[in-house]
Amino acid sequence: MKKIAFLSISFILFGVLLFAYRMYNKPHINVERSKATEIISAEQLFEIFNTNEDSAMNQFSDQIILVTGKLLSKDFSNELEPQMILKTDKESGFIRCGFKPSQLKSLEQLNDLSIIKVKGICKGINGDDELTLLKDKDVTLSSSIIIE
Amino acid sequence: MTMKKIALAFTALLSLFAFINHSGGIYKTNTGNISFYSYTPVKDIRASNHKVKTAFSSESGQLQFSCLIKDFEFKNALMQEHFNENYMESTTYPKATFDGFITSVSAIDFNKDGTYTSEVTGKLKIKDVSKKVSTTGTFFVTGGIVNAKATFNVNPYDYNVKIPKMIAPKISESIEIIVDSDYTSNNK
Repeated sequence: MKKIAFLSISFILFGVLLFAYRMYNKPHINVERSKATEIISAEQLFEIFNTNEDSAMNQFSDQIILVTGKLLSKDFSNELEPQMILKTDKESGFIRCGFKPSQLKSLEQLNDLSIIKVKGICKGINGDDELTLLKDKDVTLSSSIIIE
Repeated sequence: MTMKKIALAFTALLSLFAFINHSGGIYKTNTGNISFYSYTPVKDIRASNHKVKTAFSSESGQLQFSCLIKDFEFKNALMQEHFNENYMESTTYPKATFDGFITSVSAIDFNKDGTYTSEVTGKLKIKDVSKKVSTTGTFFVTGGIVNAKATFNVNPYDYNVKIPKMIAPKISESIEIIVDSDYTSNNK
């Protein structure tokens, strides 16, 4: 009887430890394998964030979204996170997509002003009206991948 | 005579453009780096953000930063989740900003390659709490690109970051923040 109790407790303890270990070491979201929760144009996405940031954060932040837009420029100035900027219909509003450095080669092949589809994790809108030198705003995506 | 006048006007115009170009302006980047480190005997925590929007005026010395809290990436996914949801409440307080000045900006020659230092002072705003911070910044000017580096320390409790007692030993009361950005003039 004692043996059964000991084995049961050991089994439960092992299960708890295994669960805790797996939780602690859970991987980051795999954008490539995950389905986008929203499909949206660059113009619409920026407009939603620019109109009501709080509501947009609740709707989009940390969500995997698929954004379609015109590639304005590529920004490889930070080798730790190559980036691409999608145009919106606002002169000082952009969608900034961050990629893993491993994606650099495929990004180099894209032509400016081509229409592209990007899937990534939406993080929010950067830029602040109170900061006079930083008037332009970017809705940012991380861990992005090019869909087409 | 007319040709001379045209040549003179042309030279004056060129000089004006050269003056405007060399008299300074706005240096900017949207791909600045900010990293933070928390060292304790129990645990070391580090995270980095590579999408920092920052600019400074080489004339007035005004320096500003804006970054999204959710853009900080941790090696450990669970740690990143806890940082955003439990401590920084980054859906409610999505940004951290800095608004200040390079106090000795006139001592930096942005047209001459070299290494310059200056005190940087201003207000750091995290979770809607603004606190004055100051540090020494190093400015490396190379071929028109200005690399700025600065390190300073903040106490998370000063910015209304609530850390449960059980977790407190794992998080330092002096978080080291490292700023490292390459600025170019007229960066969109």
